[in-house]
Amino acid sequence: MRFLPHTDTDRHAMLERIGADNIRDLFSDIPSEFHLQAGSLNLPDALHEAGIMRKFTQAAEANRHAGNTRCFLGGGTYHHFIPAVVDYVISRGEFLTAYTPYQPEIAQGTLQTLFEFQTMIARLLGMEVANASMYDAATGVTEAALMARRITRRKKVLTTTSVNSRYRDVTRNYLSRLDGEFAEIVCAGFATDLDAVIAAMDNSTACVIVQYPDFYGSIYDLQPLRDACDASGALMVVAFSDATSFGLISPPGDFGADMVVGSGQALGIPMGFGGPHIGLFACRQKHVRQMPGRVCGMTEDRDGKRGFVLTLSTREQHIRREKATSNICSNQGLMCTANATYLSLMGDAGLATIARHSAAALATLIHDLPEGVETAKGPRLHETVLSFADQDTRERFLKLARDNNIFAGIPLEQFEPARTPRHLLVATTEMTEAADISDYLLALKEACHVC
Amino acid sequence: MSAEAIHDAKSYSGVSGMQHEEPLLFEHAHEQATSINLPGVHGEIPAELSPFMRASAAGIPGLSEGEAVRHFVRLSQWNHSIETGFYPLGSCTMKYNPRVNEQAVRLPGLAHLHPDQPEDTVQGALQLLYELQEWLGEISGLPHVTLQPAAGAHGELVGIMMIRAWHDMRGDIKRRTVLVPDSAHGTNPASAALAGMNTVELKSGDNGRIDLDVLKAHLNDEVAALMLTNPNTTGMFESDIAEICRLVHDAGGLVYGDGANLNALVGVARPGDMGIDCLHINVHKTFSTPHGGGGPGAGPVAVNDKLAAFLPLPCLEKDGDSIRIIHHNDHSIGNVFGSIGQTGVLLRAAAYIAAFGRQHLHRIAEDAVLNANYMLARLKDAYHVPFPGLCKHECLLTDEWQERHGVKTLDIAKRLIDLGFHPMTVYFPLIVHGAMLIEPTESESRATIDRFCNAMLEIAKACAAGDTELLHQAPLMPIRRRLDETLAARKPVLVWPG
Repeated sequence: MRFLPHTDTDRHAMLERIGADNIRDLFSDIPSEFHLQAGSLNLPDALHEAGIMRKFTQAAEANRHAGNTRCFLGGGTYHHFIPAVVDYVISRGEFLTAYTPYQPEIAQGTLQTLFEFQTMIARLLGMEVANASMYDAATGVTEAALMARRITRRKKVLTTTSVNSRYRDVTRNYLSRLDGEFAEIVCAGFATDLDAVIAAMDNSTACVIVQYPDFYGSIYDLQPLRDACDASGALMVVAFSDATSFGLISPPGDFGADMVVGSGQALGIPMGFGGPHIGLFACRQKHVRQMPGRVCGMTEDRDGKRGFVLTLSTREQHIRREKATSNICSNQGLMCTANATYLSLMGDAGLATIARHSAAALATLIHDLPEGVETAKGPRLHETVLSFADQDTRERFLKLARDNNIFAGIPLEQFEPARTPRHLLVATTEMTEAADISDYLLALKEACHVC
Repeated sequence: MSAEAIHDAKSYSGVSGMQHEEPLLFEHAHEQATSINLPGVHGEIPAELSPFMRASAAGIPGLSEGEAVRHFVRLSQWNHSIETGFYPLGSCTMKYNPRVNEQAVRLPGLAHLHPDQPEDTVQGALQLLYELQEWLGEISGLPHVTLQPAAGAHGELVGIMMIRAWHDMRGDIKRRTVLVPDSAHGTNPASAALAGMNTVELKSGDNGRIDLDVLKAHLNDEVAALMLTNPNTTGMFESDIAEICRLVHDAGGLVYGDGANLNALVGVARPGDMGIDCLHINVHKTFSTPHGGGGPGAGPVAVNDKLAAFLPLPCLEKDGDSIRIIHHNDHSIGNVFGSIGQTGVLLRAAAYIAAFGRQHLHRIAEDAVLNANYMLARLKDAYHVPFPGLCKHECLLTDEWQERHGVKTLDIAKRLIDLGFHPMTVYFPLIVHGAMLIEPTESESRATIDRFCNAMLEIAKACAAGDTELLHQAPLMPIRRRLDETLAARKPVLVWPG
């Protein structure tokens, strides 16, 4: 077996040193009734390397993917451009196959990268500090709610239906096993009704969670929420799903958010059928001791040289056990490296261009919508909802688009089952080319003219 | 020029004799390069967006491509990794990460799938994932599997949620206590607490194993589960496992298995056969997915029939020749993650299992256990072994004999760095003073293990001879010496202030 270095000679010599006759003697502390006969599991035959590639290639070719289609799908996962360098850097064995940097003297590469990552994420989100990542946006939002409960010692978490339903589902689920309330204010239309959210706040509210841009792509003034939070003592938590947006528009931190949490998938990570992605988590310096997850800090070595370590571990489960701020241990380490590499290649200017191209593509698309298709109103960057007269028209369009190699949008009921099935969530990125939009519009016109 | 003068001379490039300093990205001081060429629509953006534009740039440095590559490649060279050396971290299962797995998951038809694409356009990926579920069910002896948890601790949380749901469905709603041995990973009690449970610590017996009398004394009608790691974190198998499970079941509780140490059992014995009801599997340990400097991992959870109805959503279901993604069912604990799972990680695990197959899978555990016992045999006369006897895939030593010479586990760990090895896991498990937990996985050759043992024996000899200066000074060789963790924690600097 190619991953095992021992020869039988090695095994015999080692057994002799141990004083055992054969390897299975080393398992004599396991009651014999539990011993499996070698090879008795119902698993397929071992594959050589060529066989593995054949198997995976066949599976991959059974799928349609964003590389050979035109992808207008969003909802928290986006098909952005990824420079080759990002994958090169995260493929380097020194990053890829390193453990958590618990021995900092021989992990400064990972640690300095984490420090750079934290710095760039905090800057991009307009926040004071960021941690070294959460699993994904949904669990990150959940951790923000839990953190707000710890800081305020209040138990009510307030949110609104214009926050991605998956973030809400996970948060609701976690909180349901702890005492306290999780209230979701219903927003009419495809935008955030901040007045309704603010009206629901009271002095038992630990935090208010909104999304910006919201799940439907809408952008709105966050300032009234900051004012309301100041008045009630609740913390302002802002979720997001595409971090490239903040290369162009003001980030939540500029509005005084207390926590900003969302997905970093857009920053150099392939969609990958749901993961691995990364949850970004930023907060205020004064709250760092209540923050979940690993965090890297700057320090000095014995010779006074600058260096980096994992720090604030007294919050964490390996020290605090059941009283830890979170149970999270593994983070998305390598995805931090991907984000850091991506950001260093883009810089401010590249990020702004990406957000601008993404928005320009949506503007171009919306500008020429045929009659019978409505788009949600109000300022939007690169994601919106298209509404059809009925489900038939939408399905006809989706099929025409697919026949023309376009994934035209996500049926909204995949996120929000109660919706009438006539809406599509549609996203554009800098990967959307002008010709893709013309083809999209052609299919749209054809689908609508039939009716 | 004298040797000293050469040594002290300023390096013009930051590199001297292949040892380099590398500034932070933010210290690469120059105007931002505009070398990045981006695709897309160069049109106008709507005027109604103007009130929302950033007032000032974020301060993300943009480097030219060559500069960025050099920056990160240089940083990478400051890391120890499994590809550059032995990584004997106990409880971490740092094994070789096959390169073919990296190639496989980067196939465009797997890497560039949107999670909300129509189901019929992702059947290839779903088939691989469904197959992995079945394999993990077979390997664990617990046939119902969710791939969704993003890491081991996440799997623990999901497992405890399911156990709680099982009791609740039976109307047994006062069962809110989870028993956790004091040798357990810290995530166990933290995960139980997050699932809304109370934890009670079980004191281990003098032999490092679960004490049946202590267990019996804590079993009552409020106990929902025992969380158990087997082999436990001292590296030893809980030989009373059948009796332990029987006692817990008779008292109305369930047994949660922490699969962190599955590498000792894979292909040789199955937790499900022993009475475990629910087990998470760290694929980034047992099934070779790369640790990535801290993640991403994945922590699939396998359960028996009792708990099958409670698996989280979405889940995969076979429907004729296709696999469907199910978003609703009556008893599920609900959603715990934003997608069906960390697909890229899971597919690497699938490729690994496929490579071993039915014929070879058991050899993982066999060689891992052989290595650990061989190492124990070579080191047991030089280091105190708190719990003598067979170990499984890792062996536990302490610094008791070295401490008499003023040398602690931390010194031994740091000295190993100078001798060319990553240290073992130190000060864990907590039940042993000055613990050193060593896990030489099946990837390691006899020669590597011998070299590591030789280094350990040299350290023990130096201690015995009172020659301890190097041990206290260590490490001397790496780019940085011992770092001041107290300073970092007292005044946390988490972002570059510049």
